[in-house]
Amino acid sequence: MVKPLNNHNQMFSLIQNETIKMIKKKRFYVVLLVLLVLVPIFAYAQMKQAEDKRETYGTDWRREVQQAITDNQNSLGSDRVPEEWKKYRQIYIQQMKYYLEHDVNPAQPGGVSFTREFLDNASTLFIPLLIMCIGSDIVSSERTAGTVKMLLTRPVRRWKVLLSKLITLLMFVSLIVLSSFVICYLISGIFFGYKGFAFPVFTGFQLHGAEVDMSSVHAVSQWKYLLMQAGLIWFVGITVAVLSFMVSVLVRSTAASIVIMMAALIAGNILSNMAASWTSAKYLFMVNLGLTNYLAGTPAPIEGMNLGFSLAVLAVWAAASLFVSFLVFTKQDILN
Amino acid sequence: MFTASRIWRTVGLVSAAATLMLLFGFLYAVRDVIYPGTENQQSYVMEDHAYAAPEQSSPLDVTVIGDSLAKGTGDDMGSGFAKRTVELLTKQGASSKLINNLGINGLTTKELLPMLDQHGVQYSLGQAGIILLSIGANDLFDGEEPLETRTELPTEAELEQSVKSASDNLIKILDKIRNINPQAQLVYVSLYNPFSDMKELKETGDQAVARWNGIAAEAMASIEGGLIVPTFDLFTLQAGRYLSGDHFHPNATGYQAIADRIVQGIAVKE
Repeated sequence: MVKPLNNHNQMFSLIQNETIKMIKKKRFYVVLLVLLVLVPIFAYAQMKQAEDKRETYGTDWRREVQQAITDNQNSLGSDRVPEEWKKYRQIYIQQMKYYLEHDVNPAQPGGVSFTREFLDNASTLFIPLLIMCIGSDIVSSERTAGTVKMLLTRPVRRWKVLLSKLITLLMFVSLIVLSSFVICYLISGIFFGYKGFAFPVFTGFQLHGAEVDMSSVHAVSQWKYLLMQAGLIWFVGITVAVLSFMVSVLVRSTAASIVIMMAALIAGNILSNMAASWTSAKYLFMVNLGLTNYLAGTPAPIEGMNLGFSLAVLAVWAAASLFVSFLVFTKQDILN
Repeated sequence: MFTASRIWRTVGLVSAAATLMLLFGFLYAVRDVIYPGTENQQSYVMEDHAYAAPEQSSPLDVTVIGDSLAKGTGDDMGSGFAKRTVELLTKQGASSKLINNLGINGLTTKELLPMLDQHGVQYSLGQAGIILLSIGANDLFDGEEPLETRTELPTEAELEQSVKSASDNLIKILDKIRNINPQAQLVYVSLYNPFSDMKELKETGDQAVARWNGIAAEAMASIEGGLIVPTFDLFTLQAGRYLSGDHFHPNATGYQAIADRIVQGIAVKE
């Protein structure tokens, strides 16, 4: 299918070729299938939980929020609660009070709110995992199958082959992020209804230690919030994609490259929960994946992290792995 | 069915559109987080406001506010007198539920005052037909520390001083609650002396508590729909039976006894 035309068209048809391969290999369908199976499970669990709450609080969210505030205040007095948790709870209390003052339900039931919450939780592990599923074998699978030799015997420069793969991968990152949102909304709508796009969400909480500065808090409609969230998750997705792309270039076996990336992601999740005192951990890419936290006003895992910092860390890691990928791929000998 | 060129066209177009949209979202988010407050502050509309409307509340719905006693600390069942009151009322066939338990361990009168300005607190007090209040013990006895680790026990003069300043606060608290909800029955659970089985503290403690309860009774007398529930007598001779292991809070039996008294006192209007 790929004919050596002029330079521009050559690149174009390389990407075309990679895209068709990606679809034919059915990796993307696996991702969609995982979403289609998991989202209903979470939505159902969430619905059960909501039913339980309704038994205690009726439909009155204000009572529920106030009780959450009081319960958290009680735990602040206990010496058995670690200081780090107390900070989280103090911030939570202040934010919930703000919601009550403005008479806005922080968890308005509905498909849109479910999507927002689900993707907040999915942004550090679940979505990166889906992206990895595509990224980790994009180069290594050609090696496992031996088809890389066929690719490289064509009259095409090696870096162009690699670039076409990278661009295809980034296209699919966008598709995965988009389909996560769409599938999540469509399925949770069955459980919670499709309303809530215009509902207000507060953003702009400035955190200074355990204090929350409310001066720049403002309400955005939930659809705008979703858009911002999707953009941030997309950036995380690109970083993860580029990193797994590098691992895929470096490691011969697809299984090994998946394991390496997975270990890194899970390590990041564990570190985020316990690395508060090891401050240099903030330069690792895996603890910077929670970009949506900055939107929601949840504290970053390590003191001194903010959106600008996390974006810079992710960008540096991504740039470095691109450099390594192209350097290695253009120089290395293909033996097997 | 799916020809190669068709796949390419669809995937290419959708992903290009998605990328543009996500890029826009990303830039928008970065701008919003780094330069917040450029949006119109109050521009949100409430969708489905009817859903957010409060439920119909019954005249026997209970909100409890105050210190650890209100919370139910020491009750192994976790119920406290508030839940037990609701259970007793329900057992009698009345429709009653616990709206909120706003008890906070170690709360003093001074800390309760600003709490009454919070929206959520005002809301759940406003919803109630019965407001149960327990406050003052921490002002007098400096509360939560276990006796074994205490370096000094409060002296008579100290207790006297605490009674004075706390009773001023109590009057303000009662006023505020009345303003928030003028209709509800307001039940004040008066103090007992948790040290009645300790020789050194029995007399001074008893005196301080008696003074306090006197002031509270006087304040409650001027309040319409006000009710003061005595607990002092329960713990005078039977501290072992009603007090929990920490020697300060009631145990399950103690809370049940208090709840019984509350239910005896309140008006069950049909």
